[in-house]
Amino acid sequence: MSRVSLRVNGRVRDAEVAPRTHLADLLRETHNLTGTHIGCEHGVCGACTLLLDGMPARACITFAAACEGAEVTTIEGLDDDEIARELRAAFTARHALQCGYCTPGMIVSARDVVLRMAAPDEHAIRVAMSGNLCRCTGYVGIVRAIQAVIADRRARGIAAIPGGGRDRLGPAGAGHAGAASAPPPAASVPAAAPLAALPDAAGVPPGWTPQVTFRQSFVSAHPAEAVWTFLGRIEEVAACLPGATLDRIGPDGRVDGRIRAKIGPVAAEFGGTAHIARDGQTRTGTIAGTGRDVRSNSMTRGRITYAVAPDPSGAGTRVDVDIGYTLTGMLAQFGRPGLVQDLAARLAAAFAQNLEGRLSHAQGVDGAPPPAPARPLDAGALIVAVLVGRLKRALRRLLGRS
Amino acid sequence: MKPVDFAYARPMDVTAALSLLAEAGPSAKVIAGSQSLGPMLNLRLVQPGLVIDITHIAELRLVEERPDGISIGACITHADIEDGRVPDVAAGALRDVAHGIAYRAVRNRGTIGGSLTHADPSADWITMLAALGASVTLRGAAGLRTIPVEDYMLGALEADLRPGELLVSVTVPRLGRAARWGYYKLCRKTGEFAHAIGACVVDPERGVCRAVIGATEARPIVVADARHLIGDGTQEQFDGPAVDELARASGMEDAIVRQTHVVALRRAVAGAAHR
Repeated sequence: MSRVSLRVNGRVRDAEVAPRTHLADLLRETHNLTGTHIGCEHGVCGACTLLLDGMPARACITFAAACEGAEVTTIEGLDDDEIARELRAAFTARHALQCGYCTPGMIVSARDVVLRMAAPDEHAIRVAMSGNLCRCTGYVGIVRAIQAVIADRRARGIAAIPGGGRDRLGPAGAGHAGAASAPPPAASVPAAAPLAALPDAAGVPPGWTPQVTFRQSFVSAHPAEAVWTFLGRIEEVAACLPGATLDRIGPDGRVDGRIRAKIGPVAAEFGGTAHIARDGQTRTGTIAGTGRDVRSNSMTRGRITYAVAPDPSGAGTRVDVDIGYTLTGMLAQFGRPGLVQDLAARLAAAFAQNLEGRLSHAQGVDGAPPPAPARPLDAGALIVAVLVGRLKRALRRLLGRS
Repeated sequence: MKPVDFAYARPMDVTAALSLLAEAGPSAKVIAGSQSLGPMLNLRLVQPGLVIDITHIAELRLVEERPDGISIGACITHADIEDGRVPDVAAGALRDVAHGIAYRAVRNRGTIGGSLTHADPSADWITMLAALGASVTLRGAAGLRTIPVEDYMLGALEADLRPGELLVSVTVPRLGRAARWGYYKLCRKTGEFAHAIGACVVDPERGVCRAVIGATEARPIVVADARHLIGDGTQEQFDGPAVDELARASGMEDAIVRQTHVVALRRAVAGAAHR
């Protein structure tokens, strides 16, 4: 626990809170100031917007301990504020509130617009207010109310204050405190939860359509027959895939396993079951399955189909991999398909390289080193390798052209 | 939607922050304005044992203007730059880009150092600062090292931060009097992650002609001598097919994605021409 002392609506208030407590929770749960609403709780909707040292800030992604000694003004503290009073009248007159959930955040952001912006047109007001969402979609009334208050104040000779009158540098709310540290909570590392049982084995119904699809291809120097046979040996395939671990190989092509991946500070480990089917006639295979990351409570369902054929250039074998997946849960809320695709491209590049190494070694190619299991896809080294590859390709093309 | 139960430390100088980082190892996470890390903590995508809050370190909230440019402390906010509390040595480019980042409530706490270290490919600073030829200064146990902004980003969400290192400042060179710059980002909704960004800086006095294609889902594509792509930075000399070819060679395979990025750079150049 850490002691947090804030000046809230003009009064000094102390509280003992866990360091993970964000400002909105501190105000609502400890100080009973429930006018600050919590909507999305990840900085998107603006419902929790309040004034921190006089500047609008998101209370849900600002930790209370980081604001030690700061001045906090919530909607409750704006009762006697001149601009807020005028805004309340204008919101009422122009039907700018319906269910009221977004209203405290709207008033705080609108006050900032009225204070700072001299003569914004409708578009500028909409841009300035775009960080506050109204799910009743009552934006027309809100924008008109703000326009009316600005027009009225400027007509009364009250000028805007650019920058809102702030005269110090750094994050609003910071810089008032002395050194502090709150000890780690007891037993800070929870034991890894066991993988939850999946509803049905592979969990991919026949008619299922993935949310995101894309294709990755690579070329192997080895003949198609060798690559096809290799892709049928599930242990070897898993050993080529960075971060993959096989837990169990069941009958009928059913496989339990896990795959670990890391993008920056985000680490996920998906565990689950897949079903593998192969057709030797067409040299195509399908891997369909579902997986779950316990840490982020995210689920994925995916289908990967691959086709092995001699490369059109005449040398080696081309492998086309079509990947389709749907992601739900926390990772999906944060995730952007492009980032996942970049990760998949890095995985495919590493997979192709490892496959080449294993095939070369198995066939006794001179100097081919014995294979080592692929390491989890982890930050710098691999990315740099892929980027260097891209750079080389880029240079080749550019030089080839000139 | 609550973060894991982490410990919290608030050092008052860089030396103390570095020793905390060294002691705690990889389970520690440095936090500045918390506008990018905050959501990831709330979603439990990031689960640190210790959070080190660097926003109370006075030396990270300083700016130092010099004849050849400006050094901006890591904890200077986007709003500090937008409002002009930090002198703009880049002919308005810094203020303009800062103004377009997310929303005002985010800009009041989000920091320039945090944005670069978070290394989101769609963020504004990485692309514009790469176009301006800015650099970052990192401090670790071994001392200081200064590297170009574009080298600081290794890939999506990966910064070139060695264990125990902290970004302390960003240095932006001063543009010459005849310099022009352009910046265009493509968003469907104001404040959302950009789908494509184009940026260019043409500074004849310093012999600079740089173009950057950003929001690529990976590192930005930086062209240090872009005369073959944008000529002298006027719209007439913009070579769309060459930009498209560059994007393709850099691994951007989807034709629509490539076209969006070509258009973003073209609009950046058009904006520069009118400045």
